[in-house]
Amino acid sequence: MGVLRISHINLRVLDMTAALKHYEDVLGMEKVHTDSEGNVYLKAWDEWDKYSVILSESDRAGMNHIGYKVEKDADLDEFKQSITDYGIEVEDISSDALEFVGRALKFNLPSGHEMYLYADKEYVGTGVGTTNPDPWPDGIKGAGVHWLDHALLMCEFDPEKSINKVAESTQFMIDVLDFYLVEQVVVGPDGCFQLATWLSVSNTPHDIAFVGGPVMGFHHCAFFLDSWDDVLKAADVMGKNKVKVDVTPQRHGITRGYTIYFFDPSGNRNETFGGLGYLAQRDRPVTTWTEDHLGSAIFFHTGELVESFTSVYT
Amino acid sequence: MSEFFSIYIEETGEVFKCSDGQHILSAMASMGKKGIPSGCHGGGCGVCKIRLLDGTYKTEKMSRTYVSEGEEEEGIALACRVFPMSDIHLSVIGKLRKNILKKTTAVKRYGFV
Ligand code: FES
Ligand SMILES: [Fe+2]
Repeated sequence: MGVLRISHINLRVLDMTAALKHYEDVLGMEKVHTDSEGNVYLKAWDEWDKYSVILSESDRAGMNHIGYKVEKDADLDEFKQSITDYGIEVEDISSDALEFVGRALKFNLPSGHEMYLYADKEYVGTGVGTTNPDPWPDGIKGAGVHWLDHALLMCEFDPEKSINKVAESTQFMIDVLDFYLVEQVVVGPDGCFQLATWLSVSNTPHDIAFVGGPVMGFHHCAFFLDSWDDVLKAADVMGKNKVKVDVTPQRHGITRGYTIYFFDPSGNRNETFGGLGYLAQRDRPVTTWTEDHLGSAIFFHTGELVESFTSVYT
Repeated sequence: MSEFFSIYIEETGEVFKCSDGQHILSAMASMGKKGIPSGCHGGGCGVCKIRLLDGTYKTEKMSRTYVSEGEEEEGIALACRVFPMSDIHLSVIGKLRKNILKKTTAVKRYGFV
């Protein structure tokens, strides 16, 4: 029972045509639906549920909400109770209010980010099916991402005013949604403030991450690729398509992932995240990075922080 | 044939060429110049906010979180959404917005915050 994984993200885009070209031709996702309000739904080839990205045209960039899938319908009743008991208001969302999704719970994390939980989403199958499948389907475009892997949310952090929404949201994910802490960055005297956390609910090094900043926002969502070669090819695809790359292929110290940070045409940061890093386990000791090693924690090769990493987000 | 125009940044005195089909921030970055803070290049993050002091230009859609309609009319824009139609003289107002919001300078007290 409990939360299974990240299931979808709803991003605001300034220009739907440009956004679609990016998510289809660069990332290699497939458009599966457009609703009556013009929101566009996309799926990656290795996902079996109907969609994992919803794009909504808007006058600003950023994230509207994020959705996680739970295992059983009854989990929603338990979560409704435990989230309410924690002091967070929960709204019941009727079936299909989110298209192709069953009943859902909607609430805000302590950081303010809107989250949905649901147990059912229409099943459509992966690009290779379940009987004698090929390792990958023909006709994949661009980077050919496998699935939406995780998201990193920026949370308000100002210890002088005793504000640390990273720590508060982390505690909520652990206490109520049964995530576990995998890695963290601590700063301040004796590392007394959690500045960033990576949490898992499965066996991947992170299913969600929180980083502190002056204001809340959306930092990035990441799509999975198999290997370092796939990451290099993805970077080639970005070069060919004049995508704005934030950080070229590199290894994260944190999670050991192979990364590229880049922006969609509205300025929302995406990541292609390759390799499993390691198999996360509930009893695996938590990895801690200290303030003086921040550079290596994020960008292992250069060991240097990139200014845009924490100052540029939507 | 694309036409090239001169872009002049008030604060740093940097001058670079930009074609009519290229946005100012991309032209600046591709010449290795740094006068305007560079971020998402998509009109979404707001760091490249500028005031256009002289010249004509076209803009594409920019995030209303960072440029209001009123500001847009006054000649404020995001450099990554500005395409020149003449030589341009501009002044930088974006700096690093998140630091401005904090009302402190760019002094970081805790890691990167
Ligand atoms: S660089 Fe992000 S809005 Fe221009
Ligand atoms: Fe990531």
